[in-house]
Amino acid sequence: MRLLRTILVSWIFFCFLAGCATHREAATHQEKRDLIVLLPEAGGKTGVVTVTTQGGSQVLYKARYAVEIEAIHQPPTAPSPMEEEEIDDVFGPALSALPDPANRFISFILYFEHDTTALTPESKALLAEVLKTIRSLESDEVYVMGHTDLVGTEGYNIRLSSRRANSVRDLFVSGGIKADTVFVSFYGKTRPLVPTEDEIPEPRNRRVEVFLR
Amino acid sequence: MKHTRSRRLFLYLAAIFVLISVGTKDTLADPPSAIGVVQKAAGAVIILRQEETLSAKIGLEIYQNDTLRTGPDGSIGVAFNDDTLLSLGPESVLVIDEYVFAPGQGKYSLVVRMLKGTAAYLSGLISKLAPESARFKTPTASVGIRGTKFVARVEGDL
Repeated sequence: MRLLRTILVSWIFFCFLAGCATHREAATHQEKRDLIVLLPEAGGKTGVVTVTTQGGSQVLYKARYAVEIEAIHQPPTAPSPMEEEEIDDVFGPALSALPDPANRFISFILYFEHDTTALTPESKALLAEVLKTIRSLESDEVYVMGHTDLVGTEGYNIRLSSRRANSVRDLFVSGGIKADTVFVSFYGKTRPLVPTEDEIPEPRNRRVEVFLR
Repeated sequence: MKHTRSRRLFLYLAAIFVLISVGTKDTLADPPSAIGVVQKAAGAVIILRQEETLSAKIGLEIYQNDTLRTGPDGSIGVAFNDDTLLSLGPESVLVIDEYVFAPGQGKYSLVVRMLKGTAAYLSGLISKLAPESARFKTPTASVGIRGTKFVARVEGDL
C-alpha cells in the first residue's frame, strides 16, 4: 500500500515536472529566436559567414540577409532579407558602439604577370608608394599574403603564391625594411579576390596583399 | 668541516629554491598581455576579470577570458590587436574565451561566446590570415567568419 502511494506520488511529481518542461519549451519557441544578420562593410563589400547548429548550417553571403535559430538541435532558418529599419531597431545601439574602422590596417594589393613573380607595371609603381608608407609610419608590422588565380593544381599554386609573397618581402627588405617586421603567408588558389570557376585565368587574383600599421 | 658542509647544504637548498621560484614565475606568472582596448563606452558597462569587476572606460585594456556585460543603457566597443572590432548593445553579455594574435609564431585564434543581447562584429586580420580560427559562438550556434561584418542577437536568460 505504502509502495503504491510512493509510486503514485512520484508519478504525479514526474508529470508535473514534465508538464513544466513542455510548457517552458513551447514558450521558448515563440519568444527565443537568435538572429544573425550579414552586413555590408564600409566599402560596400560583403563577406561570408557560416552559421552552424547541431541541426545543420546555413551560409550568408548577401548583404542584410538574416538567419534565425530556434534551438540548438534545429538547423538555422533559410536566409531571408531584413529591412534596414528593422536592423536599426534591433541593432542600433550595438552598431553605433562599433569603433571607427578608419583606424585600422592600411592595405595595398600588388598584382603579378601570369605564372610569374614579376609585378605588373602599375604594381611596380605602387611598390614605391607602399615602401614610402611603411617608412613614414615606421611600421613594425607588415603582413604580406600571396595568392594565385585558379589556373593549375593546388600544390603548384601554393608554391607560386609562396614565391610571390617572398619576392615582395625581398623587395621590402632590399628597400630598407627590417626583415623581422615582415610576416609572410601564402594561400595558393584557395582565396581568390574574384571568385571564378577552376582553371579560369583572372589577373585580379594573381596578387600579394599587403597590410600594415 | 661540519660547518662548511651544512653551509654547502644551505647553498644548495637556496639554489633549488631560487630555481623553483624562477620556474613557477615563468609558468604561472607569465604576464598576460592585453589583447585589445575599449574604444567606446556608454552607460553602465562592466568587465569581469577573474574576481575583479571593473567599470569599462575608454582606454581600458582587455584580456583573454574577460567577460563584458552591459546594463539597460549600456554599450561598449572594443578594438582587438588584430583590428577585429566588436561592440555590444544594452543588456548584453559576452565572454572572450580565446584570443591569440602572434604573427611571429604564426598563431591565431579568436573565440568569443555571446550569452545574451546584441552585438556587432567587423573582422580583422585574424580572419584574413587564418579564417578557420575565428569563431563567434552563441548558445545555439557557431558563426564561422570569413572577412566580414555582421550583427547577432541572442535571447539569453541571464
